[in-house]
Amino acid sequence: MTVLLPLILLAPLAMALLLGLMPQASRRVASGLAGVGMLLGLAAVLALAEPVFAGEVLRWQWDWWPQAGLQLSLRMDGLAWTFALLVTAIGALIVLYAHYYLDASEPLARFFAYLMLFTLAMLGIVLSGNLLLLLVFWELTSITSFLLVGFWRGESAARQGARMALTVTGLGGLCLLAGVLIVGHIVGSFELDVVLASREILQAHAAFPIALILVLLGAFTKSAQFPFHFWLPQAMAAPTPVSAFLHSATMVKAGVFLLARLYPALGGNDWWFFIVSTAGALTLCIGAYVALFQHDLKGLLAYSTISHLGLITLLLGLDTALGVVAAVFHILNHAAFKASLFMAAGIIDHETGTRDMRRINGLWRAMPYTGALAIVASLAMAGVPLLNGFLSKEMFFAEALQIEGHRWMGLLVPVAAVLAGVFSVAYSLRFVHDVFFNGPCRGLPQQPHEPPRFMRVPVEFLVVLCVVVGVAPALVVGPLLHLAATASYGGSLPEYSLAIWHGFNLPLAMSAVALVGGVTLYFGLQRWVNLHRLDPRPIAVNAYRSVLAALLWLARAFSAHLDRGRLQPMLFLWLLSVLLLASSPYWTQADRWPSTPALAAPGLAWVLFVILLVATLALLRDYQDRLRALIWVGVIGLLVSLCFVLLSAPDLALTQLLVEIASVLLLLLALKYLPEHSPRERARWRAGRDALLATLAGVGTAALCYAVLTRDSRSVADFFLAQAVPGAGGSNAVNVIIVDFRALDTLGEITVFAIAALVIHALLMGYRAAAEAQAEQAADRHPLLLQVVAGWLLPVTALFAVYLLFRGHNQPGGGFIGGLLLGLAFLLLYLAHGSTWMQTRFRPDLARLLGWGLLLAGLTGAAAWIWDFPFLTSYYQYWKLPVIEAFPASSATLFDVGVFIVVSAGSLLALVAIGRVQNASTVRPDPSTAQRGERS
Amino acid sequence: MEGLISLAIGLLMGAGLWLCLRARSFDVVLGLTLVSYAVNLMIFAMGRLRVGQPPIIDPARPADLQHYVDPLPQALVLTAIVISFAMSALLLVLALKTRSEHGSDHVDGEEPAP
Amino acid sequence: MSHWIAAPLVLPLCVGALQLLLERHGPRVQRGVGLLAVAALLAINLHLLQLADGAGSLSYLVGNWPAEFGIALTLDRLSAALLCLCALLALICLLYASAGGDRGGAHFHALFQFQLLGLNGAFLTGDLFNLFVWFEVLLIASYGLLLHGAPRATLKAGMHYVVLNLVGSALFLVALALLFGVLGTLNMAHMATRIAELPASDVRLVHTAGWMLIVVFALKAAILPLSLWLPATYSQAPAAIAALFAIMTKVGVYAILRTQSLLFGSGSEGLQGFAGTLLASAGAIAVVVAGLGALAASTLKRLCAYLVLGSAASLVMLFALNQVQATAAALLYLLHSTLAAALLFLLADLCARARGSAGDSLRLTAAMAWPQRLGVLCFLAMMLLAALPPWSGFLAKLAMLQALLAVPGQGGLAAALLLGGALNLLALMRAFSHLCWNRPEGEVRQTVEIRRREWGAVYALLALLVLLSVAVAPTARFGETTARAIHAATDSIPILLAPPEKARPEIAK
Repeated sequence: MTVLLPLILLAPLAMALLLGLMPQASRRVASGLAGVGMLLGLAAVLALAEPVFAGEVLRWQWDWWPQAGLQLSLRMDGLAWTFALLVTAIGALIVLYAHYYLDASEPLARFFAYLMLFTLAMLGIVLSGNLLLLLVFWELTSITSFLLVGFWRGESAARQGARMALTVTGLGGLCLLAGVLIVGHIVGSFELDVVLASREILQAHAAFPIALILVLLGAFTKSAQFPFHFWLPQAMAAPTPVSAFLHSATMVKAGVFLLARLYPALGGNDWWFFIVSTAGALTLCIGAYVALFQHDLKGLLAYSTISHLGLITLLLGLDTALGVVAAVFHILNHAAFKASLFMAAGIIDHETGTRDMRRINGLWRAMPYTGALAIVASLAMAGVPLLNGFLSKEMFFAEALQIEGHRWMGLLVPVAAVLAGVFSVAYSLRFVHDVFFNGPCRGLPQQPHEPPRFMRVPVEFLVVLCVVVGVAPALVVGPLLHLAATASYGGSLPEYSLAIWHGFNLPLAMSAVALVGGVTLYFGLQRWVNLHRLDPRPIAVNAYRSVLAALLWLARAFSAHLDRGRLQPMLFLWLLSVLLLASSPYWTQADRWPSTPALAAPGLAWVLFVILLVATLALLRDYQDRLRALIWVGVIGLLVSLCFVLLSAPDLALTQLLVEIASVLLLLLALKYLPEHSPRERARWRAGRDALLATLAGVGTAALCYAVLTRDSRSVADFFLAQAVPGAGGSNAVNVIIVDFRALDTLGEITVFAIAALVIHALLMGYRAAAEAQAEQAADRHPLLLQVVAGWLLPVTALFAVYLLFRGHNQPGGGFIGGLLLGLAFLLLYLAHGSTWMQTRFRPDLARLLGWGLLLAGLTGAAAWIWDFPFLTSYYQYWKLPVIEAFPASSATLFDVGVFIVVSAGSLLALVAIGRVQNASTVRPDPSTAQRGERS
Repeated sequence: MEGLISLAIGLLMGAGLWLCLRARSFDVVLGLTLVSYAVNLMIFAMGRLRVGQPPIIDPARPADLQHYVDPLPQALVLTAIVISFAMSALLLVLALKTRSEHGSDHVDGEEPAP
Repeated sequence: MSHWIAAPLVLPLCVGALQLLLERHGPRVQRGVGLLAVAALLAINLHLLQLADGAGSLSYLVGNWPAEFGIALTLDRLSAALLCLCALLALICLLYASAGGDRGGAHFHALFQFQLLGLNGAFLTGDLFNLFVWFEVLLIASYGLLLHGAPRATLKAGMHYVVLNLVGSALFLVALALLFGVLGTLNMAHMATRIAELPASDVRLVHTAGWMLIVVFALKAAILPLSLWLPATYSQAPAAIAALFAIMTKVGVYAILRTQSLLFGSGSEGLQGFAGTLLASAGAIAVVVAGLGALAASTLKRLCAYLVLGSAASLVMLFALNQVQATAAALLYLLHSTLAAALLFLLADLCARARGSAGDSLRLTAAMAWPQRLGVLCFLAMMLLAALPPWSGFLAKLAMLQALLAVPGQGGLAAALLLGGALNLLALMRAFSHLCWNRPEGEVRQTVEIRRREWGAVYALLALLVLLSVAVAPTARFGETTARAIHAATDSIPILLAPPEKARPEIAK
């Protein structure tokens, strides 16, 4: 039997998917499928009636995410069953109605697919036995209603209405999420059974008020309680079937359903009583009042819906058993008459082409039958005796008078009740009088007449229901109401009677007052202030709009201020945070001043330092004269490499020297195409500010450096020195580390080098050598001497480079130094002959060469796998050669060859590419590549 | 000696950072060059300073830190030098390209509004 | 030890080199080779994941030298999982790019492989300096890919990206120098042992260096106020690349997690997980700021970039709490947010092309081509990224909130997370309605051509996310074991410092 529970959900889901797969389905097929979905659900619900009425609680569960407490657990008790019945039954009627309402030109399949998804979500809320699951479906209703309200996406009203609905209900959903999480955290489970059972623990906990408020926020936003009510009238931009379904019978009821559902766990305390009943009372009155002044049919109905939801909320807030009964009863009654009224309004709209009550008059002549139905329904809305609305309203009045303990509320609520009663009678009357009478109808967009037969059937059905319930309540809804109310109250109910007549008592008097007052109010207004003239401003909506606008403005201003796409502030901010954080350990207490240095500085060191100081200051002085600045940088670099020499690092010295030469030459090349001077900066303060920061950073670095240098080293390097010769067959420890101990670093390093070359090459691809540039190239003659020298130098340097490469393992040198030297030789050649000459002579595809180099290095490392040794394990063998005796042939040397190839090829590739710029510096980049760039 | 080298490092770092904060790509490249000098010197110095003890193993002397300078930082510096060289070359080309595309060598690709 | 552990480095390196050799054989060959290689990489990484799940944590001694002296690779659940995610993402992005995006400039396929090399290296290495090297590799490769084809707009963003990261690298080296100067070693596990018994006089130096590392990684992870480079950069990058970059910020987060859990996992007083509180609050602020940015974004790609920002921030926030449950939740979210962001980047590109001149600007225009298909995709993407149920985004957010509630006194962080979520919801909803709900009278552009692989890539991402939503329970369970391992990182030090299994080959004199 319980297997039917998931089926109730699966039916609409399956139909939704089917409809999604056939977007071009005909009207008949689309609505047919939807109807089948609804009826299947209805059938399943009815099939479960027997056990449920027997007082059973049906459960079905499937594990989704047990650790997080999110379970697909369905639970059906009386309340759930009643709501499921409500949803599926009215849903079926709505489908029938929509079949006629929507024009064949509309994408019906999509409409019904959305409708099915919504039904699924709504049934999910009703049936879920796990709060987190309930939350999932809760949000799903918000999303699907977003789609349904925005169905006529062409109209801005629809788009805005949809967005507003999702904003309010979605944010409410987030609050609910937080609330539910807190509740689950307190109770220790999200299963409904557990939560409902652990009322004491929950309400004893300190965080209970917060949880309660968050949950209530969720419920209030969903069921449009003041001050979150404004989205509902805006949502009237939806097609009328949607309004009839979502905004009267189901979705807005989800909020009150949640209240009814969680009442046993959350109710029964002052927090609940004051918040819920106050919100309800306010909504009740405000809704009723505003409804009277609407000109749009659906607007009037929407506000009246808000008011009735307020009434239900108020009843639940009163925190009494009979209050709960009345609330459930009114949920059912309101669903019946409000759905039928919406459908009637839809028919009128459909027939007359407008919903403006100022234009529609005297429809009675044109469509008496529909008129009759609408009138009965609106009388039920007004709470006229012998109709269902009357009964629940009587109970409400009775309960309003029963409030004990809270004096003020005890006075205010009855007054509010009567007031709201008066207004509801008035607007119901306006609906009837203004539309069907109030003079003949004229000037309508189209000539109204009765709608197609079956479009009326749903209305008829519901109106009949209203009457039957109103006449014989105990007989018709008695058991159902008892079932639902018991489940919602979570305990046995006291005695109550569903009679129409309770004798002459105060509630009856209040009803009478409401009736008389309402009628006089309406006709009085008609007579003294022409209702059609009044045009109330939607205060709440405007407030919402301005809040949203303010938020947007804030966001724009903020992020516009934050990312201005300027490098200097970014960098400054970043360096500042570095400075602050890095110095933080020393704020509280500083280290003692370190002991005296270990190594006395030789005189040469002082000289070098002074030169460095001078050079740096000079650089800072005239950095704007770029050529000079470049020279100073060269000097500094030279000093650095000298420092390496002094401090026994020959490899570093060599590398630094070569790199120095290379980069200075590159900068020189670059200077050809960059301005010779940096313009003086406008913001002088910036230079000062930066200077301060830079000084602090420099001092900090120096201090840290000194602090470390005056401590003893704990380096692991002994191993390298000890293992260099026996373990790796090289006496140059640095090179051994590079190609063996830490060869992986080197592999990464040459990859970086290769990538840099490739990127440079790719970047400058866009340039084409322009003819005139070529000519100018040929024209400017290069010094002959230099050409000769370069010509001689190349082979010599190449040879020396190779020599450096191979001796690197034992003496200063190695693949990188050798490769860079070769590159420099070519650079010299290039300077001597110019780029055109170079490009004509150096056709070999350097990118390929790079590839070979990397491949060689990589595969040398991988070769170790053959002997089941880890990647990059080296192996060497002493070879006897005629010239040099016993030189170690190491796999690491092969690796170094790879390095050599990569470095030489890379530097050459970059060079030739930069050479191209010279030719093309005058022309724009190739447009074709540029626009291809845009596209990719 | 330690004091001197620390001061030198600090000096280069400060000057480099100041240049990095300038508005023109060329100056930024120069600044980064200085910063990389400072960083390389610093890493190198972390192996502690020795004079006349290059890490070229000589069978005569026992192979340990008493007789040779720490080779590890030197190896690291070699890697660092290469990487920073590659990076600044790339940055330079980027600067050239930006100039020729936007007609300005300002780091933001356009002349600041007066 | 399994040699497969080195494969994630060797394969991309060699294939990248191979791609350089294949360039003259035209794009078709290169695409084929590239896709095959990445698929193989994915297979290998999945094997590694299995390996790690069995063994907990493994060490691979490159060059067969002891861990303290050589370079050791570290494979554990976390790194293996990230390797898999990375390869998966790469496969999809490459598929997407191979529809034509790879033609924009030279050497795309080689650079792509090198990018993977850098990412894998960063995930695998157990050596701090080596980590620096891999960072450089992935950075310079990413410059190349970012500037791929170099439309004028990307140049400026690229320049900023390069300069900031170069200064970042310099700082990384300074921190490294300090740590080496004090500790005398570079292997992270070895460093951890030495930090654990650090003399009080050295604590402050190490602390300073630790802060420097945090700032460097925070720059890569784009945590406020170091995040300002990201929106421009990512929104300018080619779609497939931007999608791949979705994992780049995660590298920074990963590095923070590693250093905090291993290096400073059992530090002496004041050092243990020292950055926690600051990172948590910075993350919380960043989440909200990113939300505002997303709301203010004027194009879909920019919006997506801000979402990436937000996700990285929330990750850091949760990791900073240094609680198993929080870390587990964050890992789940990492998986989701990476895939989801990639999805949105690709979709943004499709929409931009389908809307013609309007591009991906978030304003109402004429209807775009493929209205149904793109509409549904955009809607699903909106649900995913706005953390709407029932998809993985919601589930991950749920887990994170529960984790935050479990820690007493972290209500503020939870509130920040919710607020950021609300802002994202607003932003995405506006974006969706502007993109997909147009005036009917607008002419529909059916001329635009979208290749089958591009659809395929998008569908693949979507399928993965749906799968994640359904199979969330096992994923989360794996995340929990991983988290536990992370918080017991120092226990694995003996394994990481184990001597080589095999003696070195004999040398015949």
